[in-house]
Amino acid sequence: MVQFNLPANSKVEKGQYYKDKTGSKNIRKVNVYRWDPSKNENPRIDTYEVDMDNCSSKVLDILNKIKNEIDPSIAYRRSCAHGVCGSCAMNMNGKNGLACTKSHSELDGDIDIYPLPHLKVLKDLIGDLSTLYKQYESVEPWLKTSKINDKENIQSKKDRAKLDGLYECIMCACCSTSCPSYWWNGEKYLGPAVLLQAYRWIIDSRDEDRKERLKKVADELKLYRCHTILNCTNACPKGLNPAKAIAEIKKMLATA
Amino acid sequence: MEDKNPISPHIQIYNWHISSLVSISHRITGIINFFAITLIALWIASLLLGENYYEYTNSFLSSFFGKFICMGIIWSFTFQVLSEIRHLIMDLGYGFEPKTTKISGLIVLIGSFPISVSIYAIGRLII
Repeated sequence: MVQFNLPANSKVEKGQYYKDKTGSKNIRKVNVYRWDPSKNENPRIDTYEVDMDNCSSKVLDILNKIKNEIDPSIAYRRSCAHGVCGSCAMNMNGKNGLACTKSHSELDGDIDIYPLPHLKVLKDLIGDLSTLYKQYESVEPWLKTSKINDKENIQSKKDRAKLDGLYECIMCACCSTSCPSYWWNGEKYLGPAVLLQAYRWIIDSRDEDRKERLKKVADELKLYRCHTILNCTNACPKGLNPAKAIAEIKKMLATA
Repeated sequence: MEDKNPISPHIQIYNWHISSLVSISHRITGIINFFAITLIALWIASLLLGENYYEYTNSFLSSFFGKFICMGIIWSFTFQVLSEIRHLIMDLGYGFEPKTTKISGLIVLIGSFPISVSIYAIGRLII
């Protein structure tokens, strides 16, 4: 059943206010979602005043600055800081993206930072993505071929080009967690990220399991919960198009 | 047992895009159209029941409130048809670039108003 309201234990409360101590003139307010699993409290929004004169250009730099200089208790995932690993996916000013590639100058007004939407929160900005990983495993994201040879498995340029816009996916989950269908049916609907991966293997000319893969994904809930809301394509920090990949799967099923 | 961990905010915080707005409006107009069809069926049924019944529904539909409902239904159908055309094109695999979806969404959202007004005007001319 669709649940629009948050459950009682998820209602967000007002948190602490960290006033600027540097005396900087260029201050920006940053509101960050906090939840501590060791305390029996509701999540809260802490507000930090950040000195923007001494802060690099990305949202992740702000978070690092807060963690290093203001409040070391804040928890978030990050690793490469170059938009390759997909760890720092979060919701910034109402849109999902990677904190490390999102410039804070692109965001208007105070900056609101939330974890990826509709996930079980583990701590602060860290959401639980285990359902998504299980679904990813269910599409068997590996090459299935009977050819066993010592040389390369050759692919024509044209066939290889079909993988462009698919292989670049870093599984940051920005798209899946932006999708209302995935919010309401996250257990059953595979979601844009996993369906894009499914399509990546369906369309691979070297893969010999296309029919089986299509059959597996052709399901009222797994695939057809996509209603082309297109939040996924709007959210993707790598500029990929999961909605189009899903449409291509639907098209293949309709014309097969 | 209720989960100890909270659910992160979703619809409360997520920005609306034109495409998501068109999508939810498509659904809402779909539900409206379901009832609208029932209303139209009742209107036609009243014709079968005799002059008195027909006059009764007719006077309701030509009242201010009735006209408002008529216009609403026209808009809801127009929107549904436009949005459905957009979906059909997408089902063929076209128009998925973020810019194109924005433009096509705007055409559906804004275009539905002048089209429904002209349908209403043409309808008035005929009757």
